[in-house]
Amino acid sequence: MSECIVVTSGKGGVGKTTTTANLGVALGRLGAKVAVVDADIGLRNLDVILGLENRIVYDLVHVVEGSCRLKQALVRDKRVDGLFLLPAAQTRDKNAVTPRQMRELVADLKKDFDYVLVDSPAGIEQGFKNAVAGADRAVVVTTPEVSAIRDADRIIGMVEANELPEPQLVINRYRPRMAAAGDMMTKEDILELLSIPLLGIVPDTEDIIVSSNRGMPVALDDSSRVGEAYRRIARRLTGEPDVPMLDLSADQGWWSALKRWVGLQPAREVVG
Amino acid sequence: MKNLVAKLLGRPAANSREEAKKRLKVLLIHDQVDLTPAQMEAMKAEIMEVIARYVQIDPINTEFRLERADGQVALVSTVPVTRVVERPATA
Repeated sequence: MSECIVVTSGKGGVGKTTTTANLGVALGRLGAKVAVVDADIGLRNLDVILGLENRIVYDLVHVVEGSCRLKQALVRDKRVDGLFLLPAAQTRDKNAVTPRQMRELVADLKKDFDYVLVDSPAGIEQGFKNAVAGADRAVVVTTPEVSAIRDADRIIGMVEANELPEPQLVINRYRPRMAAAGDMMTKEDILELLSIPLLGIVPDTEDIIVSSNRGMPVALDDSSRVGEAYRRIARRLTGEPDVPMLDLSADQGWWSALKRWVGLQPAREVVG
Repeated sequence: MKNLVAKLLGRPAANSREEAKKRLKVLLIHDQVDLTPAQMEAMKAEIMEVIARYVQIDPINTEFRLERADGQVALVSTVPVTRVVERPATA
């Protein structure tokens, strides 16, 4: 049975597009047929995060307006079997598509794909409404910051109002060391505030910047710890039970042991 | 000994995590119910006026606040009653 999952956040810049790209890659590597859809019309970015920007011929608006067939607009990712991108239009705006057209588009994609991942634009207006229109469920991305959590709370309310029950949370740019030192909200703090189930935690690392420079999502790299975090999130997304959290702390030297001993650094924290 | 070493390693000063959480708790409630502090005060005054028709209350120690658990907002109030008014108004 195929499913459409919308990746959303309310606030911009928290990592929706990076999350969509990596979950698409990770689900594809699990053997699923995946379409990632860029619903941020006018500000397309999923193509560059995936490194597929040079291969776009048609886009989502062309498909909706009937100027090309759906299959012509899908860009195949040669690195991952079964992964395809439906790019957004860059020169149009959000009003070029209606929620009804999105629902029809998603229904068409679901005939050919196991997962349709929709990368929602920031905000709560037309673009968001289009992105959630065809979705069966939602993944809400946030970071451990006051502004991002506030917006995530708003978006959770709106997602639920759109009859997408039980949105799941991805906490992005988490820094276990800062959280342990009391300088960042912990995963428990965030879950208490937002009270939705946790899908996974992605640590803040420089790998993500390097991967976006290259258009090579970290989920492609077997040696990457962040990539592993995304791969585990993808497994949870498929319904695989009890996928263990990843231990991402690197504090194993004598200096950290000394800090832990005096209570300056709590025991190592497990994220994933 | 432990404290001394902790001091030498530099203990973190303020805990901004707690501050962030506290601010968010208030923020999320007000975003959800969309009630201004002035409206909240007006509601409190009116409720107290009604209660005072039936019982004598201690207005200084009266507390009204919005709380949130599992996404639901509740109005929680503590109104200390000093004694029952002898003839409650029936209007």
